[in-house]
Formats: sequence, structure tokens, C-alpha cells
Amino acid sequence: MKWIGALLLVGATTWAGFEWSHRLIMRPKHIRLIKNALQILEAEIVYSQMPLRDAFQRVAGQIPNPVHSFFYGLYAAMKEKHIDFYEVWKSQVDRLMERSCLHRNEREILYQFGRTLGQHDFYQQQKHIQLALTHLERELEDARDEQLKYSKMAKTLGILSGLFIVLLLI
Amino acid sequence: MLTDPSILFQIAGIGIIVALIHSILKQMGKEEIAQFATLIGFIIVLVIVINGLSNLFQQIKSVFLF
Repeated sequence: MKWIGALLLVGATTWAGFEWSHRLIMRPKHIRLIKNALQILEAEIVYSQMPLRDAFQRVAGQIPNPVHSFFYGLYAAMKEKHIDFYEVWKSQVDRLMERSCLHRNEREILYQFGRTLGQHDFYQQQKHIQLALTHLERELEDARDEQLKYSKMAKTLGILSGLFIVLLLI
Repeated sequence: MLTDPSILFQIAGIGIIVALIHSILKQMGKEEIAQFATLIGFIIVLVIVINGLSNLFQQIKSVFLF
């Protein structure tokens, strides 16, 4: 009985450590996905000159989850009801935050970007997209650094802390 | 007389694991947290040892006083 409990405890902390490191690994991937999506959006706005709603649908078609469901949710919400665009954008960004491994910084960048979306002419809009992309590039560097530094440590620390607690309680 | 040798293994295990945690944290550049982890391990071992010592003193007391 004692050993089963010990195994369960070590398993649980190991899992927590792996989950932590998984989040560290997925963060740069998700930031890259958002960057790709913004680049596609830029092309759709500047060259195809689509309305935002259709542009969102096009972007959603070309990007995998979780960013796919973000843009699809925007498209669906804009089709359904005609309320303030920024409210729709904000609620979808919050939902994206729950599903992905992004941090608070990325949320702020997306909020800022959402405030500018649909307020300007093509030229200004392109500039705003470039600005958001620059910010995201900086965050991407940051996330990659953190991944290299901490993802291995998170796994090892999970296992070791489990063993430590087991030794204390045994 | 040592009645229960498992306490020795327990302390040895805690020492090894704290040393591992310390070296990993130090390697990742988190010196302060590494020091803190070592301090906590030391305090835990200290508590275990003091428990054993207090048992010893109780036994001496019971031998000589009563």
C-alpha cells in the first residue's frame, strides 16, 4: 500500500513537471502560428482587399488549431451579431488564452492590435500589422530563450521533487 | 542501540536529492533558488536529527532520574 502511494506521488509530480515543460515548448510554436496568421491577414487585407469577416474565414482555413478556432470564432461571432468589434476581439483573445500556452504579454499585444483593426486605411493598417508582428517577434525570441533554458530543468525537477517528498514521508 | 536504520537511508536520500536539485538549479542560472532549496533540505534534515536527539535525551533522563 505504501509503495503504491509512493509511486502515485512520483508519477503525479513527474507529470506536473512534463506538463510545465510542454507549456514552455508549445509557447514559441503558438506565437509563430499567430505571426503566420497575421501575415496571411495582412495579405488578405492589403492585396485581396477583403472585408474583415471574410478575411478571418480565409485565415482560419489556412492555420491549424488553436489559432484556427480563434479566427473561426471571430468569423462566427461577427456573422451572428453586430456588436462592437473590439468586444468580440477581446472575448475571443481571452478564449484563445485559455486554450493555448501564451503569456500575458502576448495578450496585451493582441489587445493593442485589436484596437487598431478596422479603424484605418490599407496603408495604416499594414503598418499596424507590421508593428504587432515586430512585438510578437520579440516575444518569440524571449519564449525560445526560456524554452532552451527551462524545459529540461522542468522535467528533472518534477521527478526529483516527487522523490524528495516520498523520502520525507516514508 | 540503533533501533531503526531506515532513518539513516532517509537522510542520505534527502541529501542526494537536494544535492541534485541544487546542481540542476545552479546549472540553469538560478543561484538564489538553488541556495534556498539547499537551505530547506538542511532544515528538514535538522528537524529529523533533533527529533532523534530529543529521544536520546529522554531515554537518558529516564535512566538516571526515575
